[in-house]
Amino acid sequence: MSNRRLYIVLALVFIFITLLVVRLFNVQILQAEELKFKADRQQTKVEIIKAERGTILDRNNVALALNINTVSISIDLRMLPQNEKDKTAQVFSQVFGKPKQVYLSLFSEKGKTICVEKKVLSAKAEMIKNAKIKGLLISEDPTRSYPYSSLASHVIGYVNADFLGTNGIERAYNDELKGIDGKRLVERNALGEMITVAEDQTVKSVQGANLVLTIDNNYQKILEEELKNGLSTYGGISATGIIMDPNTGEILALANENDYDPNFYSKYSDTLRRNIAVTDMYEPGSTFKSFSMAALLDRKLCEESERIFVENGKYKYKNVNINDSHNKDYLTVRGIIEQSSNIGIAKLIQRLDDDTFYKYIRAFGFGNFTSIKLPGEVKGNVKNPNDWHNVTKAFMSFGYEILVTPIQLAAAYCAIVNGGILYQPQILKRVILPNGMITEELTPKKVRTVISAETSAKMRSFLTGVVSNGTATAAKLDGIIAGGKTGTSQKLINGSYSKSHYNSSFVGFFPVNNPKVVCLILVNSPTSGGYGGLVAAPIFKKVGDRIVSSDPVSFNKQGGSKDGEVKVIYANNNQKMNDVSLGNNSKQITESIKKKIMPDLYGFSLKEAVNILAKNGIKYKVKGSGKIASQSIKAGSQLKKNVECTIVCSENVTGKNKN
Amino acid sequence: MRVDYKLNDKLDFWLFIPTLILLCFGLAGIYSSTLNNHFAHGNFQKQLFFGGVSIVLFFVIYSLPTNTFKYAAIPTYIFSMLLLMAVLVVGKKTSGARAWLVLGPLGGFQPAEFAKLGTVLAMASYLTKTSVDIESFKDIVITLAIGLFPVGLILLQPDMGTSFVFFGFILVLIFWKGISLFGLYLVLSPGFVAVASLFGIYYFIAAVVIVAAALIYFKKNIFISGSIIAANLGAGFFADSVFTFLSPHQQKRIESFINPSADPLGAGYNAIQAKVAIGSGGFLGKGFLAGNQTQLQYIPEQWTDFIYCVIGEEFGFLGSLIILICFIIIFMRIIKIASSTRDEFLSLVLLGIFTIYFVHLFINVGMTVGIMPVIGIPLPFVSYGGSSLVINMLMLGIVANVHRTRKNYT
Repeated sequence: MSNRRLYIVLALVFIFITLLVVRLFNVQILQAEELKFKADRQQTKVEIIKAERGTILDRNNVALALNINTVSISIDLRMLPQNEKDKTAQVFSQVFGKPKQVYLSLFSEKGKTICVEKKVLSAKAEMIKNAKIKGLLISEDPTRSYPYSSLASHVIGYVNADFLGTNGIERAYNDELKGIDGKRLVERNALGEMITVAEDQTVKSVQGANLVLTIDNNYQKILEEELKNGLSTYGGISATGIIMDPNTGEILALANENDYDPNFYSKYSDTLRRNIAVTDMYEPGSTFKSFSMAALLDRKLCEESERIFVENGKYKYKNVNINDSHNKDYLTVRGIIEQSSNIGIAKLIQRLDDDTFYKYIRAFGFGNFTSIKLPGEVKGNVKNPNDWHNVTKAFMSFGYEILVTPIQLAAAYCAIVNGGILYQPQILKRVILPNGMITEELTPKKVRTVISAETSAKMRSFLTGVVSNGTATAAKLDGIIAGGKTGTSQKLINGSYSKSHYNSSFVGFFPVNNPKVVCLILVNSPTSGGYGGLVAAPIFKKVGDRIVSSDPVSFNKQGGSKDGEVKVIYANNNQKMNDVSLGNNSKQITESIKKKIMPDLYGFSLKEAVNILAKNGIKYKVKGSGKIASQSIKAGSQLKKNVECTIVCSENVTGKNKN
Repeated sequence: MRVDYKLNDKLDFWLFIPTLILLCFGLAGIYSSTLNNHFAHGNFQKQLFFGGVSIVLFFVIYSLPTNTFKYAAIPTYIFSMLLLMAVLVVGKKTSGARAWLVLGPLGGFQPAEFAKLGTVLAMASYLTKTSVDIESFKDIVITLAIGLFPVGLILLQPDMGTSFVFFGFILVLIFWKGISLFGLYLVLSPGFVAVASLFGIYYFIAAVVIVAAALIYFKKNIFISGSIIAANLGAGFFADSVFTFLSPHQQKRIESFINPSADPLGAGYNAIQAKVAIGSGGFLGKGFLAGNQTQLQYIPEQWTDFIYCVIGEEFGFLGSLIILICFIIIFMRIIKIASSTRDEFLSLVLLGIFTIYFVHLFINVGMTVGIMPVIGIPLPFVSYGGSSLVINMLMLGIVANVHRTRKNYT
C-alpha cells in the first residue's frame, strides 16, 4: 500500500467530513434562529376561540334558538398512509352509515387537509377518535339549532355557515348575539393533535348576550296553525298574521305562511324566507276606512247618527265609478263603517281638506318606517297631496292609491283602539348578559298622539259594531266581545284591478273596552271566499278564541265557567303553552323548581329539558342528541345563581322511566 | 478505571469506546423519538436487545483466528448472494421495496446488509490472488462483476441507498489495490456521466466534454478513445432509463433533492422538516426529550434514517459534533490498522469496511443537513434496526480481530 494512496484516502475523509461540519455549522449555528422560528411557527398556532352565540328566548323564556356542541372532522391526507385509507373509509362508513366509496373518493385527493364530515355530534366524533386514524383533526363546529323548527322562523331568522346572522333577529341583533371571540396559543403535533395550550397567552371568549323577545311562543303557535289552516281552507298565495299589544307596541306573534325551517334554511326559496309582514306593501282596502273615519271624527266633521245618501250602491264621482257591495240608500256614519261603504266614506272624506287628511295618514305612521328591528322593512308609499288626482282622496279614503305594510297597519290600529297613541312596534323585550345582568329592558316607545281618547273610544265602538252586526260577524269570539274591520282589496295586476285576485284582510282587537290584543290577518289571493269578512275574519276568530281560552282569567272571559273550572283550564293550558308535555313528572318538576332545587331531567326530550332550564334561569350547555342521559348539576341539589348545567343527551335513553 | 496496558493492547479501546458512545446516543435518540408514538413502542427495548446481541457477536468475531475471514470469504459471498435472490422471491414488501426476509418473532432481516460484508470479503479475496493483475482488462471486469452482481440484485428490490454503498467500496477497493489513474478513469467516467445526465442535458454535455478532455491527457489511440467516449455516452442514456426504472418515491426524492422547495409537502417534506429539526437545536440543543420537532413527530419514522436530527435537535451542534468525532476516531483507527497490516487481504477488507461506514455516514448526515438527496440508509451504530446493527458490529469485530493479531502480520 503506497503512502500516496493512504494520503488520498485521508484527504477524501477530511474533505467530506469538513463538508458535513461546515454544513452543520451553517444549519445549526448560522440558520438556527430562522429555523427555530420556522419550527415554532409550524408547531404553534394562534387559535380563535369562538364565542358562544347567545340564545334567543320568547317572553316566557322558551328557547327558540340555541347552540349544540357539534364538531367537524378533517383529515390531513399527508399523514394518512396509502394502505390505511381503506380501513379509515371503513371506519367512517360504519359510524356515519354512508357507503365506503364516498370516503375513498374523498381520500383519493392529493396531499392536503380535507373536511370529511361537518356538524357531527361529539359522540360520533369520539368513535372516530377511538379508531386512532392518522392525520385526524377534530375541531369545534357548533350547530345553531332552532328546536321548534319553523316556529317564528320569519322573526328569528337564521345564521349562515360562518355563524353570521343573515335574517330576522339573528341578523338584526347579530352584534349582541355573537359575543367576542377569544384566542389561544396551541402546540400541535404533526398529526394535528393538540398537545399543550399556553394558558398565559389565552384570551377568553365572551359569550354573546341572550335575547328575550316580545314574542309569545303560545300565541305564535296558535297564529301559525290557524294561518296554515286558513290557507288550506281558502287557498291563496300566502297568509300573514301579526298580534300586538296595543298598549305597548310589543309584537306578541308575527307569522307568514308558508314558512320555512331555519335549521335547513338553504333548502327554501327566497320567497318563503321573506318576512312579508315587513317587506311587502299592498293596498289595504277597507281596513283603511278606519283611519279616514278617525280623522273625520277627530276633526268633528261628522256625527255618529248622521244619515248619508249612499246612492243605492252605484256612484259616479267625477266620472269614476265607485261601487258598494250592497245597494243601501241611506247609512248612518256608524253604518258606513259597519257595512263598509266605499261611497259613504268617499263622500264624507270630502269634508276634510287634502293636507289635513294627508297629515292624519302620516301621523298614523304610513309612509314611514315603523323602525321595528327586523331586516328588510319598507316604508310603503303615500302620495303627497300635490300629486293627487281629482279622485285620489276619495279612493284613498277606502284604502286604494296607497301602499302600506302589514306591520304599519297593525301598529296604526293599535293607535286607533288604545286611546290614540302610536307606539313603535317592538320585538325585543330584554337583553341579558351571560352574567345575568340585564342591559336592555323594553319600554313602550310612544311616537305621537294621533287622535284623541274620545275619538279612539268612538272608533272602538264603531269597530265593535262591525263584528256584532256588520261585515265581520264571522269574527265574533266566544265569551268575549271583539271589534275589528274587514278589508278586501282588488290586487293591481298588470296595471288594472283584478276581478279575481284579492288581498283579504281583517284587523281585530279584544276585549273591546280595554284592548289587550290587536290581531291582523291578511290572506293574499284566496281562491274561495275573497271577501275579508269571509276569509280573514274566521281565521281571526279561531286565533282569538284560542288565545282567550288559553288565559280566560286575564281576558275576563264571560261564559259562566266557575272559578274552579277556570283554574283547571288555566293549568292545562299553561302546560300546553310551553309545549312541554311533562306527563307524570310535571308535578315533581314544578315542585322542585319552587323549592329552588335542581330538577331531575333524566329521560326528558331536549326540547322539554331546555324549556325547564330556561324558564328557571339556569344556563345550560347541550351535548349530543336524543333524550337526556345525564346532567352536570345533581338532581335535588340547591340551585345557586348563575350556575351552568351541562346536559348530555343520548339516543339510547328511552323516554321518562323514572316514575 | 485503571486501564490494563495488556488489555488495551489486545482490544483497541479507541475503536470500542467511540462505538459504545454512538450506541448510547442511538438509544437515547430512539427513546426520545418513539416516546410519543403509539406505533413504535418497544423499539427502544428491541434496540437494547440487539445492542447486547451485537456486542456478544463482536467479541465472538474478535476471538476468531484471523485466517477464518480469508477462508470464509467466498462461502460468505455465495451465501449472501443466495439470500439476495431469495429476498426477491419470498421477501416482505415494506414501503415499496422487497428488502426483508421474515425470521419468526425476531422480525425481519435485510440480506443487503449482509451482502455488503460478503462482497467486500469476496472482492478482497479475488484481488489478492497472486495471478490477478489489476491493470488487466479481464481481471478488472471480473472484480467489477463480483461487486456489481449484488448491486443488480439490490436495485431489483429496489434499494438505491445500499447500492450507493456498494459503488463506494468497489471504487475504494480497486483504488486501494493500486489501480492506475487511467484504469480508475475508465471505471469512474461512465458513472460520472451517468449521474450528470440525471441533472439534465446541459450537465450531461458538460460531463462528456470533461471526460473527453481527460482523454486527451491520457494520450490513448483513437480506437480506445472512441470506444471510451461511446461507453460514456451509453452510460448517460442508460442512467436516464434506470431513472425511469426507479420506483416513483425514489424518483421523487431525487427530484426533490435537485429542487426541494418544488414539492414541500411531498417528497421534499422530510428534507425540510429534518433541516428545521436539526437547525432549531442550535448550539446546545433543546435538551433530552425536549425537542419539539421530534416529540411532535414532524418527521416520520425518525428513529431509523433521521435519527441524526433527533440528536441534532436535542443535543445541538455539540451533540452532532460528538457523533462525527466518534466516527472520525473509528475511521482513523480502521485506516491505521489497515495500513499497518502487511496482509493485503485484511488491509483491503478493512478499507472496505471503512468505506461502508463512511458512505453510510456521509449520505445519512448529508441528507439530514440537506446536501444529499433523501436516500433512506441508516447511520451505523445509531439508527434503529437489528440487522444493520448486528452486521456493523460484526464488521467492527473483524477490525478489532485484525488489531488483536496485528503483530502476526507485520
